[in-house]
This record gives sequence, structure tokens and C-alpha cells, in this order.
Amino acid sequence: MSLGLVNIDKDLCTGCRQCEEVCPVNAIKGEVGNPQSIDYDICVSCGQCIQVCNAYAVENKENKDMITNKRLERGLLKSVKEPIFAAFNKGNAVKVKEALNNKELFTIVQCAPAVRVSLGEEFGLEVGSLTPGKMSAALRILGFNRIYDTNFGADLTILEEGSELIKRVTEGGKLPMFTSCCPAWVKFVEQEYPELLSHLSSCKSPQQMAGTIFKTYGAKIDEVNPVKIYNVAIMPCTCKQFECDREEMQDSGFKDVDIVITTREFAQLIRDKEIDFENLEDEEFDLPLGSYTGAGNIFGVTGGVMEAALRSGYEMITKQSIPTLELNFIRGGEGIRVAEVELPDMILKVAVISGLKNVVEVLENIKRGDCDFDFVEVMTCPEGCVSGGGQPKFILAEDRKSAFMSRKKGIYKHDSELKIRKSHENPFIKKLYKEFLIEPLGEKSHHLLHTKFVSRKKEEM
Amino acid sequence: MELKSNSFVVGDSSKCVGCKACEIACFKAHNKLVTVGNITTPIISRIHVIKGNNFTVPVQCRHCEDAPCAKACSINAIKNEDNSIIIDEKLCIGCKACVVVCPFGAIEIGTKCKDGKKVMQKVQKEFAEEGLEQKEEKVAYKCDLCKEQDEPACIKACPKNALRLFDVIEEKRMRNIKAVNNLKL
Amino acid sequence: MNSFVIANPHRCIGCKTCEAACAIEHSEENILTQRNDKVKFNPCLKVIKTAEVSAPIQCRHCENAPCANACPNGSIINREGIVLINKDTCIGCKSCVIACPFGAIDLIVEHKDADKVMQKSLKCDREGKLEYKERLVANKCDLCIGRGNGPACVEVCPTEALRLVKAEHVDEVVLEKRRNAAANIANML
Repeated sequence: MSLGLVNIDKDLCTGCRQCEEVCPVNAIKGEVGNPQSIDYDICVSCGQCIQVCNAYAVENKENKDMITNKRLERGLLKSVKEPIFAAFNKGNAVKVKEALNNKELFTIVQCAPAVRVSLGEEFGLEVGSLTPGKMSAALRILGFNRIYDTNFGADLTILEEGSELIKRVTEGGKLPMFTSCCPAWVKFVEQEYPELLSHLSSCKSPQQMAGTIFKTYGAKIDEVNPVKIYNVAIMPCTCKQFECDREEMQDSGFKDVDIVITTREFAQLIRDKEIDFENLEDEEFDLPLGSYTGAGNIFGVTGGVMEAALRSGYEMITKQSIPTLELNFIRGGEGIRVAEVELPDMILKVAVISGLKNVVEVLENIKRGDCDFDFVEVMTCPEGCVSGGGQPKFILAEDRKSAFMSRKKGIYKHDSELKIRKSHENPFIKKLYKEFLIEPLGEKSHHLLHTKFVSRKKEEM
Repeated sequence: MELKSNSFVVGDSSKCVGCKACEIACFKAHNKLVTVGNITTPIISRIHVIKGNNFTVPVQCRHCEDAPCAKACSINAIKNEDNSIIIDEKLCIGCKACVVVCPFGAIEIGTKCKDGKKVMQKVQKEFAEEGLEQKEEKVAYKCDLCKEQDEPACIKACPKNALRLFDVIEEKRMRNIKAVNNLKL
Repeated sequence: MNSFVIANPHRCIGCKTCEAACAIEHSEENILTQRNDKVKFNPCLKVIKTAEVSAPIQCRHCENAPCANACPNGSIINREGIVLINKDTCIGCKSCVIACPFGAIDLIVEHKDADKVMQKSLKCDREGKLEYKERLVANKCDLCIGRGNGPACVEVCPTEALRLVKAEHVDEVVLEKRRNAAANIANML
């Protein structure tokens, strides 16, 4: 049976269409009361349907074998005991476990910022608990050779994307510029508004930038043959696998990121190895590519990319430190938030959009020539990545909202506790440019860290 | 003098979409778990969504005034407490008399769980594939109107507000008033 | 889930054919051709008659069998949906007799090859004489495990008052009742 990234099991689906109510692109088709199906030409694999699906499989002696088969088909580790639901994502934990057992491979792992404020929830810790130390410790016990971090990639993205924005603003490039780190958002533009693709930042996402650097600069400093490197990314997102599978994501000379697993699968691997997560002693990430600033970490919430970009962008333009580090005016929840940032020679008009449905209005305005934003951050999931399709799933719907708030709090708390909070001040980012990339938007960056997009629009017959 | 009668939860088939949020909420209310990843036992629910030809609606215990289950219980483990019929799960021996006798099929035998883990019997073993194994402790489960919480979890969780607490006296009062108002015309 | 036999008191006429069938089934020898003084009649169920009702009472094969959990040496186990007493390891302590809320367990003399099994060392004072005591073991319904047609009592009852209830039956009946309850609600509101 071939699975999509996101699926609905017809045997379990009750046809209640609660998934349809949260689908930002109306990709779920079917009559009420009958099993639903996903239209993969429209679906952006955001996984929100997975988070809300209540159609669990009843398990008893009679159907034990059938359910066991389903679990295997879904790619779940044999040790996973949690119930299965109608909406699910294709699992990669088994492949990652195999890779970890393969002595020939040099395994490098990166975790998204949102993972470290939600992983603990799967082990009974309070919702939104900040546990980067335990996360590293667990990764080490699992056997990864290098524990690097997506937040390093985020810092790198800010350097590149900030420079790109300044270039577009000063040289009359395509505005508004949109962030391109959310793969579901990118897929959406490619499917529905390919004529606006030039508005997307050409930057890869932090995940992909990090993966590319791991197999090039990383291979050099670790003195490893990049052929042997197996890059694993742990994400709160069910679309990141789609992103790493994109044909063009091979600028390192190899598949830049080999495989992605979700936060939930990470927890399942930890359980599978019988690691006592709650009692792990904190450990550090590996250097240099596991170092990050507070700005990199806030990528996990809506408005975080914008705030990180402004912290550095302000300084890049004015050569002065931004007066306030915590840009509360850009923080918030689902919807469209608009702000004006005063700079010496201009006013930068920015917008932060979360919840993919909300972006359509802005895109239509652009088509009509009626949009004066300079820079727009777009996140598909309601509160940003902390509310992603691959995050720990709540049993009760009413727990979600407060949980997202707690996770966001954790993200901002981590930022406030870190010594360095601006991406361009990350000493290892500086070192990377000095020794390898030379300069943002330079030839090396252009080749390794920037990408192209492709129209996926279905032509009308 | 009015006798206080037992309340019970009833579903509205015109609103129910069969999503099973009530079942999941019921399970959660009787376990202290927050995320799906923490669940290690099969989900046991005391409310059951039933699909008919052209409707779905959940069914559960009616907290009968002359509860047949209480009468049938061989060890008097079923009592009327605080206007609800409650099975004392500590006493239940799993004899299934109540399961068989309930006219609504509201009672189900399931494995006893504590703190998210299955409880095993102290002595009784059973024959399985690999010889004698500890047997799980079983218990008769039915709706207890969430007596440990302030309100039934199923009612709160339903996204379509298809469930409500049926208070016999209150309901009668409302319907009487409606009927009288209809007479006025 | 375990199976069990249950009686319908409205059909029971108190004829005790079930007791006879049970005793015959559980006797190694052919009761009908044995000498009177050699017959051991130990049915596992007992027909009880009160002023209002008559019905046989027998083991309910409880999931958390109180008898099994009371047994000090684990002689009562669950096998193939039946709660079984291991007569070889039973010491006749009567914990199970005390524990059973239905009174479904008796103590009987163990027989082998038509003879009573005597204990090796325990003696009993009987009318002034010290004699070796018979081996007494706990006895209760075993759902005629190993019998091709299932419980003998169910098969012989002339009014079909006895029924074998299996786990699947219970599940089916419960589902049917739920469906009816749901249909009723759907029609009402």
C-alpha cells in the first residue's frame, strides 16, 4: 500500500469531517458519515487533520492482528502502544532506527526549535516544558554521531534572508518578500499562485540550510566523507519530509537532508530504547553547528522569523543595535498582524500571517496591485510551528489552545535566557562565513543556501 | 414531596456527527493523561457512539431508578450514590451479570488501569501462548456521570453540543411550561 | 473474556436432569452400571428451589475470580475462557469456598479408577478408630472442558433453560442493545 505523507484510513474514518473544518486548503473530500479522502493535488501536508482526528481504532482480541498490520503499514515501531486514529502521517522512525544501528553511517541530527518545548509532554512533563538539555541527552543515547541544531540553520537563514530583503528594498526588487521556511506555505503558492513565486525569498528553510552545511562544511571540519553522512531532522511538521524530498534539495552533492521524523516519532524512539526521559541529566549540543542564538530559537512561533529578522536587519541597515530586543508588537496569535518599523531612511511595512487560510486575502491584494507590505512572514499552522501537525497530539481538543500558549511561552523563555539573542552575533555563524561562505548572498551561499520554486498548478482542461 | 431522581446524559442525533470526541473525552476523564503519546493501554470509553442507517448518536448508562445491574450484582458492588448509579470498581469481580442484564448494553468489561498502566491480578494466572501468565484485572465499566469531576466530560467535549444532562424534574418543568404556553393561543 | 452457563428461572422446572448429566459427565466410571455403594454423585451445579423460583446455580467463571485470587497456592487458573481448579495441587483449604459469592464450589472426595483416593499420612478419628482420611478437593463447574458438544447440562435440559454464554455472544447482544437504544433516541428527539 503506498502512503501519502498525510493519510485518512478508510477503515477507521467516521466521516465526521472535523478534519475538514481545520484543513486550510479544503483538501478533504467526502460526504458526512462516509469515509473521507484527501485530494493530494490540493493537500499541503500540514497535518492539522491528524491533530484533531478523534476516530480511534478500538482494540480487542478479535482485531488484534488487523490492528498490528495497520501499525506496521503506517511505519510505526513495534514497541509503540499508543492508539491509532483514522488520520495519520507516514512514519519514518523505523528507517531512522535502522540508520542508527548501521555502523557505516555517520548520523547527524537537527531538531527544530518547537521540539524542545513539546517533547517532554510525551513523557508526562508539564505542557510547554523547555527541555533542550534532556533532548540532547536523549539524542546522544540514541547514538547520533553529531547533535547539531536547526536553530543554527535559523541563524544562518536570518543572515541570508535579511541581506536579501535589504537588497530587494534598496534595489527595487520584488516586494513584498515572503518568508519561505514553511514548506506547506511554499507548496500552496506553487499550487495556487505560481505567478507570485518570485515574491518568495529564495532562501532555503533552516532545516535545508543546516542539512546542506552539515554535508559540506560539516563534513570538512569533522573529517568525514560526506557520502557516509545520514542527516536526520526532527520536526514538529508533517510537511518537512516533502521539503527534503524535493528534487532540487541536493546542493551539497548529496540529498541535503536524508529523512525527517516528527516530535511524536522522536518520543517513540526514546520509549523504544527505554530511556527514562524525565530523569535525564542535561547535556549540550555539539559545536560548532549546534550553537544558536535566541533569535534562531523563536522561529518556532508565529512572528518569530519576523522578530529575528528585524533584530538583525535593523542593525544591518542602521549599523546600530535595535533599541528593544523583544518586539512585542509583532507577537500574537492566529491571523494577520501588521506593523511599521521605523528606520532612518524609511518605514518598513511588515506583516505576520499565521493560519494559511488568512494569506489568501493578501495574495489577492498583491495580484490587484493593492499591497504595500515590504516583508511578510507566513506560517501555515495557527500559532506557528509549535502547533504543527507532527507535535504531540492532545487527547482533548479544549487543551490545545492553552497548550500552544505554554509552548510559545517556553520558546520565548529560552530566547530570554540565552546570552546571545541576535543571529548575526552567533560566533560560529561568523566563523562559517569567514572560513567557508565568505559573505551572505555570495557565490557559495547562492549555490548552497538558496533555491528555486516550481509551479504545481493543475492546468484547467 | 418530590423524590430526587437520577440524572443521565442523552445525545441528540440531529446534531451528532459521530466524531467520537465524547468517547475520547470519557477516556481522558478517567485517566490522568494529556497527550496521545502517553497512552499505553487500549482506549476504554463508557459512552459509545452508535452508527445507524441514517443517524449517529452516542449511548450510555441511563442511571435507572430500579437499576437491573444493581439487582443482578452478585456482591452488591453497584449502588445509588449522589443521584447516579455507581459501580464500585474496587469490589467488582468481573462476573458479567450486570453486562448481560443491562437492557441498553451500557456496561462493558475492560481491563482495570491505574496511572496509565494495566493492573494485574494478585494470584490468578491464565494460559497464554507462552504458558501461565499473570491475568489482567477486569472490571465492569459504565458511565459514572464523571463523579470525580465537576461536569460530565463528554458533554463538554462535544464540538456540536449534541450531548446534554437530562434532569428529569427540570425537563418536566420546561416541557410543562412549553405545553401551557401552547395552550394560550 | 470467559464463557459461562446461565439459567433462565422462568423456564426451569426443577427436574434436576442437569445435575444428573453433570455428575455422569464428570464420573470416570459409568454411573448407570456401577454398584450403588461405589457411585460418586458430584454434580457441579445445584438446583435451588425457593418459594418463588427454581434454577440451577453454578460457577460464573468470573474475570477476577475471587476463588482464584483467594487460593493460597495458585491452584485455580484461567484457561481457554474457563476458570479451572487444579485438583492435583488443591489442599482443600476452603479459601475458594469462602470467597465465592455464588456458593458455586463444593468439596468432594477425589476418585481414581472408581476408588477413593486416600491421603498418605493424615488420619481421621472415626468412631474411635484412626483411619487414613480421603483426599478432599474443591470442585466446581469446568464448562465440560474437552467435551465435544460443550456443557452437558445445556444439552440435556428439557426446557432449554440453560444457555452457554460466550464472549462473542455477549459482545453481539450488547451491540444489538446499543443499536436499539440509539435508534430509540434518534426517533424520539
